[in-house]
Amino acid sequence: MSEDGPVVALEMKQVGKRFPGTIAVDSVDFEVYAGEVHALVGENGAGKSTLMKMLAGSFNDYTGEILINGEKVDLHTPSMAMKHGVGMIYQELSLADPISIGENIVAGHLPRRGVFVDRAALAAEAKRLMSIVGLDLDPDLPIEEISQHEAQLVEIAKVLGTNPSILVMDEPTSALSRDEVERLFAIIGNLRKRGLAIVYISHHLPEVFRIADRVTVMRDGKKVASRDIASLTREEIVQMMVGRSVKEFYSRAERTIGEVRYRVKDLSRWGFFHHVDLEARVGEILGICGLSGAGRSELARVLVGLDPADEGTMELDGTVLSGSGMAYYLAKGIAYLTEDRKSEGLALRLSMEDNILSSIVPRLRRGLRYDKRLGRTTVRDLVRALSIYPTDPAVTLANLSGGNQQKVLLAKWLAGGPRVLILDEPTRGVDIGAKVIIHEAVEKLAGAGNTVILISSDLPELVGLADRVLIMRQGRFVREMSYEQCTEESLLLAANGEESA
Amino acid sequence: MRRSERDTTSSGRTLAWVERYRIFLLFAVIFVFMSVFAPRFFNVFNLTSILRMVAMNATVAIGFTIVLICAQLDLSIGTVITFAGVVGLSLKEPLGYALSVPIAIAAGAMVGLFNGVLVAKAKISSFIVTLGTLTILQGAIYTITGGNTISLSTPDAFAVSDFLAGPLIPLITPRILLMLGLVAAFELFLRRTRTGRNFYLVGGNRNTAWLAGINTDRYLIAAFVLSGTLAAIGGVFFAMESSAATLRMGDQSLMYVISATIIGGTAMTGGKGGVFRSFVAVLALEMLYTGVILFGLGNEVKIFIAGLILAAVVLYEAYAYYRHQREIGKRPELIRELAAGTTRAHAAVDAASDGAGGKA
Amino acid sequence: MATAEMKPIDVPDARYLRSSRFSRIVNVAGIYGIAVLFIIAGAVLQGLGVINNFMTTRNFLNIIDAVALLGIVAAGMAFVTYSGHYADLSVPTTMALTGIVTVELLHYGFVPAVLAGLAVGLLIGAVNAVVVGRFRANPIIWTLAMSYVTMGVIRLVWVNRQIYPDVQTDNLRTIALFDGIFRLRLFNVVSLPVLLMILIMLAGHFLMTRTVYGAQLKLTGSARRTATFSGVNAERVVGIAFLLAAFTAAVGGLIITSLSRVGAWYNGTGYEFRAVTAVVIGGVTLAGGRGTIIGVIGGAFVIGLMNNIMTLIGIGTFSQDMIRGAIFILVVGINAKSLRSLGRDDA
Repeated sequence: MSEDGPVVALEMKQVGKRFPGTIAVDSVDFEVYAGEVHALVGENGAGKSTLMKMLAGSFNDYTGEILINGEKVDLHTPSMAMKHGVGMIYQELSLADPISIGENIVAGHLPRRGVFVDRAALAAEAKRLMSIVGLDLDPDLPIEEISQHEAQLVEIAKVLGTNPSILVMDEPTSALSRDEVERLFAIIGNLRKRGLAIVYISHHLPEVFRIADRVTVMRDGKKVASRDIASLTREEIVQMMVGRSVKEFYSRAERTIGEVRYRVKDLSRWGFFHHVDLEARVGEILGICGLSGAGRSELARVLVGLDPADEGTMELDGTVLSGSGMAYYLAKGIAYLTEDRKSEGLALRLSMEDNILSSIVPRLRRGLRYDKRLGRTTVRDLVRALSIYPTDPAVTLANLSGGNQQKVLLAKWLAGGPRVLILDEPTRGVDIGAKVIIHEAVEKLAGAGNTVILISSDLPELVGLADRVLIMRQGRFVREMSYEQCTEESLLLAANGEESA
Repeated sequence: MRRSERDTTSSGRTLAWVERYRIFLLFAVIFVFMSVFAPRFFNVFNLTSILRMVAMNATVAIGFTIVLICAQLDLSIGTVITFAGVVGLSLKEPLGYALSVPIAIAAGAMVGLFNGVLVAKAKISSFIVTLGTLTILQGAIYTITGGNTISLSTPDAFAVSDFLAGPLIPLITPRILLMLGLVAAFELFLRRTRTGRNFYLVGGNRNTAWLAGINTDRYLIAAFVLSGTLAAIGGVFFAMESSAATLRMGDQSLMYVISATIIGGTAMTGGKGGVFRSFVAVLALEMLYTGVILFGLGNEVKIFIAGLILAAVVLYEAYAYYRHQREIGKRPELIRELAAGTTRAHAAVDAASDGAGGKA
Repeated sequence: MATAEMKPIDVPDARYLRSSRFSRIVNVAGIYGIAVLFIIAGAVLQGLGVINNFMTTRNFLNIIDAVALLGIVAAGMAFVTYSGHYADLSVPTTMALTGIVTVELLHYGFVPAVLAGLAVGLLIGAVNAVVVGRFRANPIIWTLAMSYVTMGVIRLVWVNRQIYPDVQTDNLRTIALFDGIFRLRLFNVVSLPVLLMILIMLAGHFLMTRTVYGAQLKLTGSARRTATFSGVNAERVVGIAFLLAAFTAAVGGLIITSLSRVGAWYNGTGYEFRAVTAVVIGGVTLAGGRGTIIGVIGGAFVIGLMNNIMTLIGIGTFSQDMIRGAIFILVVGINAKSLRSLGRDDA
């Protein structure tokens, strides 16, 4: 930053955005300096992403003023935003799967020579941008043939290609490995030096402390404060996000752990995970830790009968599970909460009631008839127990906030009274209020003598909840840790394969 | 969505190559087989007649391919063909071809515009919209013709007909030349121009295209307008060459064009495929049909085979996708272990080196 | 999408949030309301002397008979649309083949012939069920291909022959029974097709709204992956929808063949489009999981009344096509727009 104080690259004055029935952003003032990394934090539904989409030109009906380099601009379409130097890296990748990497990277402004596309220039440009993020792929490969984390990096390369002066990153590290995160941080450092104004949205506070210069906290569509990061502690930020002081997050309740309930021996699904053994006990929360892509979800899918095992046995209370198909496992009391809420967990177009009851449809039977009313008290109790808002069971699920949708997803699996509940990232991208409620419900379930298998990348969550943690790496369990051994650091090291033998 | 690791084994690459160029292989196989075995197949007369047969459907397939690349469907092409033929010929007497043909083509474009606006702006499913226009046009066709075939028997109509059907050089008549020109022009347009590439982007992921500053609605509308226009061109020139427009002249085309486009490798999910591939597929299908007839088999066998081929391709694609889904997320190093037969040994080493192993 | 960032304000507008039974009743009432409006319009037109013979028992019986055939076929088709798979375009050839096979086999007796006809229809449905249900082929393209294969089979085996019941058998009773499928009337009023339509409508409605299968179908139609991840065998659920469509198409094939007294490849032509029209006008959305069978029958009634009035006015069959097509697009467009303005996410 220059001697005469910071240069304001972006100024949003009293901006607002309404959706039918909601005010997503309410008269917010927001300022970002050139050459700084500015973290934007808040719970889900606080309005962060809406604020940034406004900047990226996704809305043509926002209110208030936006100034870029001191000049008032209209950002009503993505191309207008791009013209004013706004680059946005989206959380949900904005790449077209069947199209080549090269054409994705320069989408919308392919280089031309005469009337035709200059393919050599296209390939060169794509290669240049990919090399910035450390990728070396054939630009002609379609996106559908590269892996998730490669695609994430392509997305970043694509945005860098528009030469933004203001760069917005919405949870850019969610799909990346640790090495790739380090590389990304190095890139961000470089861009900062070059004088870019960078807005960094993240739920992951340690990252925010590592990379950000200043932070803005939002809550309920309003700005709470903008501060220098150095002047704040983690607790203070959380307090501003939640709007109340947060006490001890995890208070480990004493549980009595009993017999082995779910025993898995030598389980393999060729190519996904090999020779897995595990024993989960009555009253236990068994954590499974591993980087994304370690085979955790694939294991979970076999454990609940969604995919067939190629080898190995599964036993529930000493009886071998011989049937196939998820319905069979469900009937035995084994349930699976998926990590993909929107496309695998919930039917957003249906009502909350239909969703909660969707796991126990075959049970709501009176003779030949299906009768939803049989599940009415279940729904009412769960809505109350998990403080789901709004409370009307007939509400269409798409209208709920992310946190409440996640609670509905949990309620859906609690409805059946599972004896073994496998949770796959049960609180990913969920605000702190909902997270606390979900954790309490999980502990209560285990406390009542059921078994919980908790798959999570949220290390504090594993450290706080699990009685034991199995570390999974490259399709195998490589270690086990008791909760006394577990710290965030030890788990992370183990998952990355860096612990001493 | 999680994506799969690339298959870099040589058999995997060969399979991918076959998959990618399957339509050209299929074409070659049919062409060689028919040339060798079908009586009277390989001669200028027959090959010209095949090209004349495909001239209409290949033209129509260009537009349909563009619509499919945009991940939409145009069920109205068959009736647009007939409609354009009927309009072009019934206005010939009062106006002459010089006016009636442009009017017929413009009418097709208008139908496309109607479809496109309803799909892009009113956001109605293209299946519904084009089903609706199909019904409307059927009514319009019968209303215009009163249910009769329109045939022209004036000398100048015959002159035009003779001109369109007469070879300029061996194999090439003016109508075939028009078709080839359109195929080449659109292939170049879609492959090599920025606007052309944008159609793929719009079909591949509409959101990406929009974020890249592309006016996606305009591309969708353009796709339907092109489809309507090209269907009309195909229809009206066919009618002119035969000096007649029957009420059912376009009926077979929908199935024909859909089959060819999909066999050619344009995906129903959008963002993939091409005009030239569709053209080769139309040609391959027509050679097959002609061969069937030359072998002395009837029209019914032709219909049956047409259905079977489309069914086989759809089934194959569905199955390939199903298998692909099952492979997604496989770890290459585990696969290699399997191939080497060392999974257990490896596991033991792993367990030993990590101390605790996987035991609970 | 923006929904993730939405936070309900304190007093949620009930209009945005409820997907209640109430709105379903309004939808169903809506289509029957339109039917009543058509009847009133017909009466007014008759009062003004524009048309004659609209308000007669004879005419209403005609309308209902015409509606019955379409209603039966549409009821099965509705299950396919409701399952999120657009439409079964193999319906017309299923109808034709069922009719031809039944007539061909009449010499074995009425019941065996009818059973064989229905079985052939179900066989087509079973193939669709496996390919679309299990292998997830694009339903429109697949069923189109299926219709051509079926048509090819018909043309191969029977060429262009038309098959007459009285040629196939000398048994007058069998012929009378076959003719009676369309013509039999209970108390000289309610015809067998009408009875069948009511039966299928009630059974279909019960199946869709009051059974475990119906609940699973709703979930599958609304969000197929979610259904799979909830322990629903989505492959089977979708497959059954195609079997139901094939079954009602086969029943429709028997009726139309009995009506025309001839088994021929062209029986059933156009019924795929007509049925889709009834289904969609009747409130089943292409996005799946929304609508009712009673609404679909209402849709068939609206179409039947519209056709009848247009015919009485003297509008030709072909102009009727144009009007029908325009109304079809209009209704779907209005429906999609109103769903969107209510904050529902589908079209």
